[in-house]
Amino acid sequence: MPRAARVEGTLLCHVGPHRLAFEANEVASIAAPGDTWVSARRAFREASGAQRVLVTLTGEAVGVDGLEIDAEVLSVLPPSPVVAGASGGSLRGFVLTRGVLWPLVHLDGFERYLRGLAPEVA
Amino acid sequence: MAALESETRQSYLVFACGSSWYAVPAEAAAEVVTFPELTRVPGSPPHLLGVFAHRGEVIPVVDMSLLVGGVTAGSRRAVLVRLPRGTLALTASSVAGVSPVTGALEPLGPTGVHVHLRGPGKSGARDVAVIDPEGLFDHLSQGG
Repeated sequence: MPRAARVEGTLLCHVGPHRLAFEANEVASIAAPGDTWVSARRAFREASGAQRVLVTLTGEAVGVDGLEIDAEVLSVLPPSPVVAGASGGSLRGFVLTRGVLWPLVHLDGFERYLRGLAPEVA
Repeated sequence: MAALESETRQSYLVFACGSSWYAVPAEAAAEVVTFPELTRVPGSPPHLLGVFAHRGEVIPVVDMSLLVGGVTAGSRRAVLVRLPRGTLALTASSVAGVSPVTGALEPLGPTGVHVHLRGPGKSGARDVAVIDPEGLFDHLSQGG
C-alpha cells in the first residue's frame, strides 16, 4: 500500500466563509495587498477582497482574508475523482485539522487558475 | 443507448431530492447519512455542495436538484452511493426505502446528466428517474 502523502508546515487560510490550505514551502512571503494580486474568493464565486496576500516563489500573489500557521505533520487525504479537476487541477487533496477539512492546493497552480477566471462583481 | 427492460427483479433505493424522486440500484446504495458541515471545494460547480470526511474517505456531496437545473433541496441527509472508484453522496430530502422500479427505462435526454438518468420509471405510485451511478460518476468527474 502506498504511503499517504504528508505535509509539514501548512498555511490554513480563511476565504470568506471558506477554507483553503497551502504548503508553507510554496509560499515565499506573506504581505499586505499591494498593486497586483488575485483574490482567492474568485474560486468561490465571491466578490474579490483580501487582508493578506501569499506571494508565490515566482512573485505572484494570492489574496486571502486571514491565515494561521500549522506546524504539525498532516496527512493529505486524496481527492475524489469528482473534485480532482477543480481549481484547474491545483487541488492536491484535503487535510483534516482543527476538526474540519481544508482543501490543500498548489499555490502557483491556484494563482494561475484564479487569473484565468473572470473577476466577480463586487 | 439501449433502453433497459422493465425491471421487476432488481431493487432500488428510492429517494426524493426536491420535488423529484430518484432511484439508485440498491447494491450501490451503501447507507443514508446526515452529513456534517461541508467544506466547499474551490472552483467546484454549484451542484457540488462540498465534501466531508467519512470513515477515512473524503466524500463529495451532490445536490441532484441543482444538477438537473432546479433549486437546491437544502437537505442535510444524503444517500451514499459506493462505487469501485469512490463514493458519492446524493442529497435526499426524503427516503422511501428499497423497492423495484418498473418501466421502459430509457435515457431522459441526449446530453448532459440526463443521459445518466433513465425513465419513465414507477416505484409504486411514484414517478422516478433511475440513476446510472457509474455514468453519473463519470459525468461529475468530467466537470459536469
